[in-house]
Amino acid sequence: MAGAIDEQLARVPKAGRVLPAFALVGWRWVSRNPVATIVPILLPFMFLYFLWRISDPKYFPLEVVGAMLFTTQNIGSWCLSDSAYWRIEQRLQDLFVASPMGKVRYLFGIAFSNLIPAAPALAILAVILAWVTPVSLFGWLMLLAAIVVIWITFSAIGLAVSSRLESPREVWPVGNLIFTTLGIISPLYYPITILPPVWQGVARFLPATYAALLVQDALDLRSAIPGEMATDAVLLLVSAVVGIALALRLYRWRER
Amino acid sequence: MAFGLKWSGTAAFCATEVRVQFHEWLAILTGTLVQGVLLVFVWVLARDILPIALVGALVYSVFLIGQRVLNEAAYVRIDHKLNELYHASPMSPEAYFIGMSSGIFLAYLPPILVIAAVTLVVAPFGPLPWAVMVACLLAVWSVSSSLGYFISTLFRDMKTIWPYSSLITNLLGIVPPVFYPLHLVPEGWRWLALVLPTSSAAALVNGAAGLEVLSSGDVLLAGGSLAIEGIGLLFFGIYWARRAAREA
Repeated sequence: MAGAIDEQLARVPKAGRVLPAFALVGWRWVSRNPVATIVPILLPFMFLYFLWRISDPKYFPLEVVGAMLFTTQNIGSWCLSDSAYWRIEQRLQDLFVASPMGKVRYLFGIAFSNLIPAAPALAILAVILAWVTPVSLFGWLMLLAAIVVIWITFSAIGLAVSSRLESPREVWPVGNLIFTTLGIISPLYYPITILPPVWQGVARFLPATYAALLVQDALDLRSAIPGEMATDAVLLLVSAVVGIALALRLYRWRER
Repeated sequence: MAFGLKWSGTAAFCATEVRVQFHEWLAILTGTLVQGVLLVFVWVLARDILPIALVGALVYSVFLIGQRVLNEAAYVRIDHKLNELYHASPMSPEAYFIGMSSGIFLAYLPPILVIAAVTLVVAPFGPLPWAVMVACLLAVWSVSSSLGYFISTLFRDMKTIWPYSSLITNLLGIVPPVFYPLHLVPEGWRWLALVLPTSSAAALVNGAAGLEVLSSGDVLLAGGSLAIEGIGLLFFGIYWARRAAREA
């Protein structure tokens, strides 16, 4: 009996179907629950509206970029919620662990499924950005690169934290607390130079800071000294690698 | 039913709710996040309106209580089916609604007091603005709790509730001039801001504290709207609690 099952499992493809499957999960969430999809991505737009009302108009392009990075960073919070909900409430993770799918594919799958609901917000913000400031092809490429790095890094952090939660009641507050705090410490919505020195120092430890600086450099939204953009790019990659490594170390795939 | 009997159980349910909410200290802490973020934005980008933003943070914090009432009432009814037990007990529906709302208000008071203390330091108002503040915050609590309780009874599934509660709180708390001055709103839209419970409360307190200049017409519109909404929705909340109890 066990031999027959093993034989059947051996014939099942073990690669190439995870991303489409999780993309479908992401799309189902959007199609079945449009309000639940709209609300989380509305917050960066509301922040943007608020900032447009109170701040110097010269900062608006920078704030739009900030909203894009903040939205991307928040995908980590949604990954945290999904992963924790599936593991704690529905016991689905046991099924994934028992399946031929590996840990990394599962994690990428959740991150990918949560990118789908964020995609419309990112597209709208990109249109607003193009409307308020000229963006070169190089600028778009840098923005895309920063978004990809932030998406992977913060999804990994969200998933790692989710594996340590024990109660569904912790999910929402912990996710909100971590990702909102990180989003505010990083200078996403304001230039780093206007922050107090201590704050600047703390922000330098966060990957989103370098993502914001890199995009601001590429879009000429701040006066960077020559070579600073390359340094920001390297520091973004280094901080992302450190963040992902720590997250993978913290992540618990199997129950002990 | 005698008046006293109608309110029997209010204090006990209020105390129970305070204890329940204190177990969720993480939720109480995260309840200050949006206010914190907006205050940071103001501190970094427009420090001159910080006193107005602090008044806004107080109004928003109290308005947020409605969201908690919504979640709690739905959780008790949908997930635990406890409301049937409460309604079968001698406790009246209005005691259930008011007990829950006031219990959540008391549990969420500590972060509100912290913001009030910061406001005292940043913008030391006199007794009159504080009296206006207390009256306005009570009206906002009445509006948000009644709305929260009413909306909670419209759903059958917990998962579909949170987006609506979050949408209402943020739409009424961030978009109108709660954390920023009324004069930044285009003139043609100011009447709307003075009619909404959150921005009318903020405008009245800012006007009383001298942080903003309001015409007598503005004060009348904001004060009248807030009073009608506060009293009207409280009575509606009590009516709806009785109706919901009959249907339970």
